[in-house]
Amino acid sequence: MTQQEDAMRRRGSSTLPEHIRVVVADDHPMWRDAVARDLADAGFEVLATADDGRSAVARTRATAPDVLVLDLNLPGLTGAQVCAALAAAGVPTRILILSASGDQQDVLDAVKAGALGYLVKSAGREEFLAAVRATAAGEPVFTAGLAGLVLGEFRRVKAAGGGTPERPVPELTERETEILKYVATGMGYKEIAATLFLSHRTVQNHVQNIFGKLQMHNRVELVRFAMERGLDLADPT
Amino acid sequence: MALTRHGAGPDRDGETGEVGALPVPAPVPAPVPAPVPLSDDDVTAPASASTMAVLDDEHAIVRGLWRGIDVFRCLALAYAAWSAWERHEQIAHLLGAVAILAILAGWTLAVTLWPRRTVRAYAIELAIGCSAILATRLVDDPDVILAGAKTIPSIWPTAAVIGFAVLRGWRGGLAAASLVAACSFIEVVEPTANTVSNSIFGLLLGGCIGYCVDLARSSHAALAEAMRLDAARAERDRLARTVHDGVLQTLAFINRRASDLGGETARLGAMAGEQERILRTLVSQTDLAEVGRAVSGDADLRGLLRHVEGAGVQLVSPADAVLLPRRVADEVVAAVEAALENVRRHAGADARAWVLLDDDGDEIAVTIRDSGQGVPAGRLEEAVGQGRLGVSSSILGRLADLGGTASIVSGPAGGTTVELRIPNHRTTRRTNRHHGRRTDIGSGTATGAPTPGRGGS
Repeated sequence: MTQQEDAMRRRGSSTLPEHIRVVVADDHPMWRDAVARDLADAGFEVLATADDGRSAVARTRATAPDVLVLDLNLPGLTGAQVCAALAAAGVPTRILILSASGDQQDVLDAVKAGALGYLVKSAGREEFLAAVRATAAGEPVFTAGLAGLVLGEFRRVKAAGGGTPERPVPELTERETEILKYVATGMGYKEIAATLFLSHRTVQNHVQNIFGKLQMHNRVELVRFAMERGLDLADPT
Repeated sequence: MALTRHGAGPDRDGETGEVGALPVPAPVPAPVPAPVPLSDDDVTAPASASTMAVLDDEHAIVRGLWRGIDVFRCLALAYAAWSAWERHEQIAHLLGAVAILAILAGWTLAVTLWPRRTVRAYAIELAIGCSAILATRLVDDPDVILAGAKTIPSIWPTAAVIGFAVLRGWRGGLAAASLVAACSFIEVVEPTANTVSNSIFGLLLGGCIGYCVDLARSSHAALAEAMRLDAARAERDRLARTVHDGVLQTLAFINRRASDLGGETARLGAMAGEQERILRTLVSQTDLAEVGRAVSGDADLRGLLRHVEGAGVQLVSPADAVLLPRRVADEVVAAVEAALENVRRHAGADARAWVLLDDDGDEIAVTIRDSGQGVPAGRLEEAVGQGRLGVSSSILGRLADLGGTASIVSGPAGGTTVELRIPNHRTTRRTNRHHGRRTDIGSGTATGAPTPGRGGS
């Protein structure tokens, strides 16, 4: 059990565990049922399940759950497309990516498109439940692997020269970079707080800012992509 | 256009008119694509077939040159005949000149009808050309030759020079051109201005065309290699999709359910989990290391460090390649291995470790952190004082050799962090030689110059 998992559980237990409403989207029936059963056993309410990208979007829009547990490799739409479609539709549901895939670019795309966290399917049951609770509370589920990807993304955007002069892409502050590197080497928030002489809450705020900036990258890139192709952005769909 | 070879098809006239009397080498038949295992979304099959076609194909430039030589030889023969006709009154033994031209015409006809791109055929052609140059001596009066008259074969031997350039590159071209030049000099006895300039022209032609062919061949080889890697990657991606969709899900599921049941079953589940982890690592990381090496000679640290991932070690990396020159990358990998060996020995049985790769443009930082007991204050000082740093010195020494730095810090919450920093050669190539020996050890616990030895403690 890592410090991170500990931290995650503590964060999870500090929020209200009861009555978190969840939709599970996974094309593997065995997995979908197992995840749904685990969630139900732990007291979550599973509103619906979906087995492809389109029905995941439709059912999430219809039921507006607290959390969507989303497999990255659904038929129909990619994980990133599901996240983007839900964001465009203004659904407040928070998204946790749960995937057997280790494809780093897919994970990064989904997080940039608005997912709040990522877990591999081999994560333990407790770790998974804690992650769903954290996601419901709006806290990024930040594993070391994801932190490394996010750090790499900020480096890439910076090396590419950032955005346009009118729309600069947000960069990380030194403190945020420092925290990101700590998370990427497996440190929990409490440990980071102790190392940097910060409060736990401050570290959490920094992490949320990092996510905000990352998703801003995505918007800047989308705008640039649209302008390059002469697309109209007024219609979010 | 229908490729009817028998019977007069309606479009046959157009086909022959297009290329005239010049033969075109028979098109290389596209190889039959190798049987590919059937799958639902078999997108890789056409790619691999076209790859094979390119691999087996002679490069287009080389093929074009061969065709050019065939055309040139015929034109050169016509030119030689015309030149001889122009000065037929000067020629002492007209019959001899006609005989020489007849031999040239015979060879030209033969290789035009049955093209042979072999060293042997072109050696014969070169011998005929050189003999024809020397034979000019027999059919012309010496004073006519001295006055600067053309040789009977004129520019005809140049075809053989270009042929050797295509066959054997710039060396072959130069050698054949030298031979032709030598024969010309022997023929005139006293070199005229024409002889000198023609010889220089021949050497230039042979050398330049040969060099171009060398370049074309090597670029073709590089392209073929890139396509092969691409096909290999496509195949790997196809396998990865299958593995993701089925095997990984099942292994993860077994692991998860078995750990709920406990006991012997949990042990089996852990085995499934271990296999799932290995398999996921194998199929998820596209082999950019290989492609990177092929393109720039650099190695991707992510690929080189894949093997360090294990039960207690996680490799954390960006989605893009982390490139270093091969030699530097190997040293970094050795330093990381040494650091992890240190973790295994000293951090405690249930310590975990993370290896973070971070390329910030100016430097590549590799951070190895463990969740173990950390280094007690004073321990490092003690080790430095006794002149033994063991694994640590192996890390510090390697990094100093690379012009980078290494630091070892023990955190307040336990655990040890080793940070390796290597200058990024792409951005700091010019200032690469500053040997930054800013090698600090310990978080204020110890400071010492790295000992040169790399032995174990």
